[in-house]
Amino acid sequence: MYSELIAFAARLRDLIHTHRFFRAGEVLDDQFDALALELFTLQFQNNPVYGKICAARGLTPETIRHWSDIPAVPTAAFKELDLTSIPASERTAVFHSSGTTGQKNSRHFHHAASLAVYETSLLKWFEPHFGFAGSLLALTPPPAQVPHSSLVHMFDCIRQQYPPDLAQFYGHLGAEAAWELDLARLLLALTAATQSLQPVILLGTAFSFVHLLDELAAQNLRFQLPPGSRVMETGGYKNRSRTLPKAELHALIADRLGLPLTAIACEYGMSELSSQAYDSALSSGSGSIAAAIQRHFQFSPWSRVQIISPETGREVEEGETGLIRIFDLANVFSVASVQTEDLGIRRGEGFELLGRAAAAEPRGCSLNVGELKP
Amino acid sequence: MDLPNFFLADLPPEASLTPHLITEACQALKQNRERFLLSRSTADMVKVLCEVAEGWLQPENRFRRLALEFGPAETGFSAPVLARGLDDFFRQFTPENFNALLEQEFGHVHRLDNFVGPTGAETAPRTALAIGPAFLVHIAAGNLPNPTFMSITLGLLMRSAQLVKCASGAAFLPRLFAHSLYEVDRKLGACLEIAEWRGGNHFLEQALYAETHCVTATGNDETLAAVRAQLPAGVRFLGYGQRVSFGLVTREVLRDESIADVISRAADDVIAWDQNGCLSPHVIYVEERGLVESDKFAELLSVELARREAEAPRGRLTPTEAAAIATRRALHETLAAHRADVKIWQSPGSTAWTVVFEHDVRFQYSCLNRYIFVKPIPDLEIVLQQGLDAVQGKISTVGIAAWPDKTRELARILARHGVTRICPLGRMQNPPLTWRHDGRPALADLVTWTDFETETTNEHQ
Repeated sequence: MYSELIAFAARLRDLIHTHRFFRAGEVLDDQFDALALELFTLQFQNNPVYGKICAARGLTPETIRHWSDIPAVPTAAFKELDLTSIPASERTAVFHSSGTTGQKNSRHFHHAASLAVYETSLLKWFEPHFGFAGSLLALTPPPAQVPHSSLVHMFDCIRQQYPPDLAQFYGHLGAEAAWELDLARLLLALTAATQSLQPVILLGTAFSFVHLLDELAAQNLRFQLPPGSRVMETGGYKNRSRTLPKAELHALIADRLGLPLTAIACEYGMSELSSQAYDSALSSGSGSIAAAIQRHFQFSPWSRVQIISPETGREVEEGETGLIRIFDLANVFSVASVQTEDLGIRRGEGFELLGRAAAAEPRGCSLNVGELKP
Repeated sequence: MDLPNFFLADLPPEASLTPHLITEACQALKQNRERFLLSRSTADMVKVLCEVAEGWLQPENRFRRLALEFGPAETGFSAPVLARGLDDFFRQFTPENFNALLEQEFGHVHRLDNFVGPTGAETAPRTALAIGPAFLVHIAAGNLPNPTFMSITLGLLMRSAQLVKCASGAAFLPRLFAHSLYEVDRKLGACLEIAEWRGGNHFLEQALYAETHCVTATGNDETLAAVRAQLPAGVRFLGYGQRVSFGLVTREVLRDESIADVISRAADDVIAWDQNGCLSPHVIYVEERGLVESDKFAELLSVELARREAEAPRGRLTPTEAAAIATRRALHETLAAHRADVKIWQSPGSTAWTVVFEHDVRFQYSCLNRYIFVKPIPDLEIVLQQGLDAVQGKISTVGIAAWPDKTRELARILARHGVTRICPLGRMQNPPLTWRHDGRPALADLVTWTDFETETTNEHQ
């Protein structure tokens, strides 16, 4: 039973590793469906918490015919329940969502086999978007300081593809667990990168880039990073810096680091998943004005996105708004189908990210003046 | 919709407001007050207001029909919900109710007209006259029309010139109300202005606040703080902040002969304005060990909400509002699969209504739009001790279903905990004309008194 899950994980890694999700550029839907149904049966059997959720909805491996019918679990449930097939004694790592103060954190448990799938998945989808050339600057604290951050774990996996001196973390934990930048070291590294002819890749959160940009503005500094250099920007602000509209943030990054806007890609991921989405502005190569870039996210071929109407629970039509749901085959040991709280617009096989559904606050007497309809 | 351009909010969307336009409008309002309002009596204003309300209650009334025809698209409420809310409000407009309000606020119905002597035990030779603000500005929030209608009504009683600044997209019903006043009494309508802009436009707001000595505002704490910070020194400010409400059902009424009535009243409160007001319940606390158990109460409420959806459907939601419901439902559904003490009932294939039964006495903010929590409790005491920390000092209304003796006892306890209104379940969104908003006087906070002292009591009047 559980051994079948381990075997599935190994097989999936092999499939991902050898690019067998593609045939002449086509994603193989039949293969995806067969794997999804197989994984659902295993998770139904091995993940008791998930099994109960499915049973309560009257959905079992016997009744499910297509991957899109497999029950999804809301991300909020990861805060309340242990959604994992990994026995308590074998859990060696746990990733938490970075919830705001006073809120419970979500928990995504891992062990060697599940981390192996996660790492294969993240590296294989990172590679076509960024490659592993040149050097790497990660603008977060190192994993030893934030062991429960799935984002930093991901950055660390990428870092390990490089020789140690070419890829480092440039952040640390400051007061009240705030993520801060080692600005002096970082500026030296950017200077060195500028002087070399090798491209550099910067990985960071939106607020870490704001901190960097503020420092560059204060010192009136501008860099001209070598051709081929790229930026991965991810996540929100979490009140850790002032908030900038995305287009403005990207324009500032492009200006201060000497990059075309198409060299900046956004990442969409969460601790509850084992796959990420990147937006396609990078690969499209078109448009040099921020407004001309349509940022559509695309998940890895071993995942599927559905945009679900919150009103009806069914998939929306092209161009309509709904809640983002992800079926991630790489989530072998937790739950493959995850219902997020993020709103997106369906754009072909991908989606345009609108952001988190608003917190439920009483309307009428309590709204900000003028905030009812934008 | 075809309405003449009487008010700033009637202008086409492409017409942009300027500080100069606002200043001019304010000055015109004040002049019009001098010319048309100051000579009017309170009884005269009551007569006009009652005539306007009487109009709104007639099915063929033009403004009512416009409200019901265009209201669903403009406000997000279905026509039956609008009709019920407007009817409940305008039915309160009777001379008797207005006189009761005036007596409550001033001790005498003529205090806004003449120097009137003491009504109680006071023996000093003194009379007093109350005078309303010359120019009153209201900063209105949200789509719920009643608080704005009421603000305008109170201002008219005091013969104040008034400008109502509506949140962007929320001027539709205030506009119709203003037009209905204008139709009954043009001069009175000339002392009222309705404008709409997105809050935080400092140029417009500075021009507005420079012209007034009294501002009322409705909104959350940050909004009120932002408005207050902009006001010049000496401007009186009345802020009505965010409040929450809940229902309370005692075990004595949870029996076969009364349960249908209690359920119907609970549904009334969830359905009124689609639960979108400070007076709407987020939670209904239900005492355990009634002959009808608390989870049965929740189930019966779900059946009633389903039935009501057919006759008074919930309005259409934005994707964001629907997403808040879908997200909450998904969590409670998941918890219900694992815990016997959580249950959920929901409208199939839509977000129209949701009932969540949960064993947790802590007050829970609902995402509203007919999403109600039913929480079983051993008694009220445990709610007061453990349930209300998050909303201390912010509770507006508690709607109670209990026997009269028990209700009186509960009311005394709730009052000591800072609750400002206690009413029968089913009446939560329907306060009387004399309601003291947030526990404050409706009119008496706005007026300025002139005391007139004389040598002997004989000189009274």
